[in-house]
Amino acid sequence: MLQENDADLVQRCRDGDRRAFDRLVVRYQKPVFNAALRMLHNPEDARDVAQTVFLKVFEHLSQFDPNLKFYSWLYRIALNESINYRSHLKPTEAITGREVDRAAGVERQVESEQSSQVIEQALMRIQPEHRAVIVLRHFQQLSYQDMAEILGLPEKTVKSRLYSARQQLRELLLEDGVC
Amino acid sequence: MTDPHYLTLIHAEIDGELDEHQRAELARHLLADPESRSLRDSLRRMCLAMDGVAAVEPPPQLRSDILQALPPVTATTVGAAARWRPAPVWRYAAMFAAALVGGALLFRAGVGRGPDPTELAGTMAGKAARPGVIVDTVQVDLGQVAGKVSLYRSEAKLGLDIALTAGEPVDVLVGSGGQALRIAGPRAAMTLPGPWIPGQVVDLSFVVHGRQIGTAQLRVPPDR
Repeated sequence: MLQENDADLVQRCRDGDRRAFDRLVVRYQKPVFNAALRMLHNPEDARDVAQTVFLKVFEHLSQFDPNLKFYSWLYRIALNESINYRSHLKPTEAITGREVDRAAGVERQVESEQSSQVIEQALMRIQPEHRAVIVLRHFQQLSYQDMAEILGLPEKTVKSRLYSARQQLRELLLEDGVC
Repeated sequence: MTDPHYLTLIHAEIDGELDEHQRAELARHLLADPESRSLRDSLRRMCLAMDGVAAVEPPPQLRSDILQALPPVTATTVGAAARWRPAPVWRYAAMFAAALVGGALLFRAGVGRGPDPTELAGTMAGKAARPGVIVDTVQVDLGQVAGKVSLYRSEAKLGLDIALTAGEPVDVLVGSGGQALRIAGPRAAMTLPGPWIPGQVVDLSFVVHGRQIGTAQLRVPPDR
């Protein structure tokens, strides 16, 4: 069976076809959830973000630029939501600022290998903008061209940001005696 | 300290982007410089480990949660979409008049049957039924009570999603718009009464054995 392309589905959504939106959800819920999961390192938060991303997409479909790839737009929203989600987490009065440690400690069953757990925990300690390029390149396996479109940056800048991110991550792993 | 030029070549090699000439140049450099070789090896191991992490299946109910949360005004079918073609003005006028009459009747029928306005009567709902976009979240870390409380909005209503873990029974006191509500239990999802307004504040108090152990505040962004 011929698979409908994203542009057709988006157009059908704009025409009010809810089933077309369902197809987009089926197609992209996994990558969106995984991108949020790697950004936030918490499955419940990733679930919340994924839900919010699709609702925002639905609400703003009329603003989607058809010159962009749909998934680039989707990833862009997913990354921004993930970054905003973490920055909007506010502590209760008695909180002690252990948010990152807590997030890293919950529901670890999503990871299967110890080394990837250590890497992902270190990932939470680098800047979100750097984490985003690592997530897109190494966890979502995207090309530099796609990353540039998603991030709205020249490919050269994306590469240089990725190189810095890898270096930072390696240094953190070295500090932890892993790398 | 590895020369920036060779550092770039190392990263490009990891990405599989070196041509034959660059590959030979890097190989010569790595042979001569053990520090660069060690850096290249560790970066490569790290990237391979990340590339090898399998994608996780999303929660099975995510899709249905998303679809349930879509605004009803656009929740339509292909067949219904065809009916969205511009209608004559008189048809809109008739629909508007019908809505006015219907609304007035419903309003009269509802007067005096609701709860006392000072008693906040939220609607409890299962987590899977959470029908909106999260607008604010507070991370709770109060020792014996931990987790998070999210404020979400649907088209007209606000809701709370309480996801806590607690060693002792915990009550959450919710205050908003001059009304108060006590919610028992560490996990609950509920819809707050009344329409939401931009900038609306929801105060939370966490109570264990009758003693308040912490407070927090959630807020609807002013621009929403």
